[in-house]
Amino acid sequence: MSESIFVGFVGLGLAVTLHVIFTAMTLGTGLIAAITRYSAYKNNDPWAEMLARKVFKVLIVSELFSGVWGTIITVFLAGFFTAITTLATNTLFVPISIAIASIMIRIPTIAISWYTWGKISPRTHSIIMFIMALSGFGVPFGFRAIFAEINYPYAVAYYLQSGQNPGWLAYENPLFWTLYLHTVAAVISTGGFVVASLMALENDAKAVRRGLWFGFGFLTAQLALGPLYWYSLRLYSPLLFRAVNHEYAPLFAIKLAAVAALLVLGYSALRQAKEGEVASYAKWLGPLALFTVALGEILNDGTRYPNLVLMGKQGLSVNLFANFYIDIPMPAVDVILAFLVLSIVVFTTAAYYALYKRFLAEVPTE
Amino acid sequence: MNPQPLLPLSALGIYFHGMFISLTFGLPVAIGVMLWKYWKTGDKDYYRAARVMTAVLSVNFALGAITGTLVEFGLVQIWPGVNLAIATFAFAPLALELIAFANEIAFLILFIVTLGRVRPPVSLAILALYALFAYYSGYLITTVNSWMQAPWGVGPVAKVLYPFMPEYGPNVVDVPKLVALKLAAVATGMPISLFVQKPGLSQEVGIVLKDPMVAFYSPYAVASAFHNILAAILIGMAVATAGWAYRYFKTGDAKYLKIVKPLAGVFAVLFVIQAPLVAHFMGEAVVEYNPTKFALMEGAATTYHDPLISLIAYGDPNKPIVGFDQFRQACMSHGNATVGDLVKKLGIPVTLNLAGQSVDLTPAAGVKLADLCLADLDRAMSYMPLIHTVYYIKVTFAIIGGLAAAVLFFYFYKVPGLSALAQLIAKIFGDERRRVFVLAVLLVLGTVLPAVFGWAVREVGRKPWTVYGLLYPSELMTPVPYATSPEFLAVAYIVILAVNLGGLYAMYIVATREYKFLELLKKGAGA
Repeated sequence: MSESIFVGFVGLGLAVTLHVIFTAMTLGTGLIAAITRYSAYKNNDPWAEMLARKVFKVLIVSELFSGVWGTIITVFLAGFFTAITTLATNTLFVPISIAIASIMIRIPTIAISWYTWGKISPRTHSIIMFIMALSGFGVPFGFRAIFAEINYPYAVAYYLQSGQNPGWLAYENPLFWTLYLHTVAAVISTGGFVVASLMALENDAKAVRRGLWFGFGFLTAQLALGPLYWYSLRLYSPLLFRAVNHEYAPLFAIKLAAVAALLVLGYSALRQAKEGEVASYAKWLGPLALFTVALGEILNDGTRYPNLVLMGKQGLSVNLFANFYIDIPMPAVDVILAFLVLSIVVFTTAAYYALYKRFLAEVPTE
Repeated sequence: MNPQPLLPLSALGIYFHGMFISLTFGLPVAIGVMLWKYWKTGDKDYYRAARVMTAVLSVNFALGAITGTLVEFGLVQIWPGVNLAIATFAFAPLALELIAFANEIAFLILFIVTLGRVRPPVSLAILALYALFAYYSGYLITTVNSWMQAPWGVGPVAKVLYPFMPEYGPNVVDVPKLVALKLAAVATGMPISLFVQKPGLSQEVGIVLKDPMVAFYSPYAVASAFHNILAAILIGMAVATAGWAYRYFKTGDAKYLKIVKPLAGVFAVLFVIQAPLVAHFMGEAVVEYNPTKFALMEGAATTYHDPLISLIAYGDPNKPIVGFDQFRQACMSHGNATVGDLVKKLGIPVTLNLAGQSVDLTPAAGVKLADLCLADLDRAMSYMPLIHTVYYIKVTFAIIGGLAAAVLFFYFYKVPGLSALAQLIAKIFGDERRRVFVLAVLLVLGTVLPAVFGWAVREVGRKPWTVYGLLYPSELMTPVPYATSPEFLAVAYIVILAVNLGGLYAMYIVATREYKFLELLKKGAGA
């Protein structure tokens, strides 16, 4: 494999991992913010209103930056892996359209929710918040179909054999639903742990409890969904299953240990929160959940190396899909990676001032 | 497959993106002017104006980002043949665009978060960095679009089929490989993406572009970038100016007039750079590199003389405006040469083997080059009534915008003689509230309409090609049948219109409505 293709693969992996970390954080917090905001409106509850606003700050700071990494994925795919991008767009037209439509609804409704808070009626605002929250889950509903297909080409196989477009067939891929449900539970759980962490910094036991209710609750759902996905890999993607359980077993073990730690610490912190106390370790649950998500994604995507598509016991090498139409200018790629690091530094600074130093006003004034 | 149903859908997405991008480019200038005035005077009205425009910018930025995503996916999904360009000529600009986009967003978030918490010069510096990356992003995307207008780096390739076309820079492509791919599409009637998607094809074909940075060397791209970015800034500035002028018109409150004045001043300065200078260089680039587009703009079905246009276009009043009659003559110079002769000349085998698929070029071999050339000219000429009309409407509104900018500038900033004249003209529109508002509305019309019509000329004017002189829309479009089905198109239109129009309404609410429902939040904060 040439250096440029290797850099492309690693760059794509980095972008996917960062994107998934951010989206895990924002999809879950979006849902929690919408539910909390609605309960504030229905029960005329000032505490819930303030909590919804605080939780929403995570989205207003993170969502666009999360989207950037989605764009980076697209450019890496189209630029470095031209064939697979073209094959995906030609075969998985329906899932990709669903994802795009969801993005189109999701991002503006986040900005609209933030900037119209207090300017439009709480009822209308709650509706917009729910549209925002639910549209977020449409994005993985589209894109996870691609991940399922590169692990077990079902719709793509139909297309290559028949020449007919598979339409909705990607949703009959036996890996899709286990992966999607595993993803949904993961992002809601992660969102809950992130909320718990942020609220632990403010020593708000009631809000920590609310966060942990989602975090711990959906993590218990993962006790069923995680093994189900693992087992479906065994049935339909034996190469990936083998890689996860053998070559990358240490990484998998770390992930399982992280999940176990989240379960134990989450349960313990939830019990303490019920008694009105904030556990000292509660602030670390969010980062631990995000770490677990990152590990899960690396296991799901990175362990296929040097293959890009897995077809049963056969792997299709990255080279088959890579861009050999040009000599990719490596100095330009290095400059790009350096500037992307700069953007991460700037974003982290902004997030620090917005969330930790509380520069972003909870009660709008102007 | 017929690409016609997809063209308006793409255009709609691009227009919405262009609209939001214009505000994304123009509002930072307007916000910067307000922050500068606040820093220098300490007047809080300027700061409040900056905050309101920042809120609008935020919602607008989200809409700009999602319409950008739509356009990006539109390219790779609706027009997947473009992936070949993304992998070659557009690789460097799009890869560098990642730098611009990521940092643009990071600095915007930093600006929003820190506005009012740090000193105005610090906010100005962050805003300037955000704007810098935003304009850099605009430059890179325009470079990609410009490559489709004038495919720099293919040298004489287009001229081989269309002898009236110029050479597009140095020849840094492997001509036989590119022509073979094009002919494979022509011979089979299949979109190019059906070849590009084949695993292993890229390895088999190998290098087709020797200099991946070549798109940056295009003079067309440089002129387009300055022209487009400045036009977008002017639109954003005009909308901001009109918004504050409207508030002045409705309330009569002098604080709004105070805000309009510096905005109108900066607008006029930028307009002077755009209209006579940058637009002129853009026009020269079109004359040189898009001969059919220029003929369409000037309605030159046949060659004619017009000293004024010739002077502007060629710098020589005696030179004729070259029309389609001369292009036709150039096509005839092919004589009886056929595609088969071209294939032979380039050493391309009659049967291609593309990643396991055998493609026979024989069906295309007998086609006469002159017939192909003439057929494309006929298709181009069918756009003449539209392009000619639209171009002159654009010019008319640009002149109106320029005059309104001049009147408003001299109305506010006293220059002996000119200000008296401006006062005289402005009085036509009624009292001061009304005249400031009407002039500001004319600024909007004088920037938005030229941009809308100008973009139509730019995009439709290069038809029948998507990549000028090289590729048609039908060769780049998706092979997915229901992409052109009424159901898909209906859903796509509904989503695009609902999200964008809803977003625009939200921006209006953010800009105009006061906070009315904050009691619960205030209580929650312990107030």
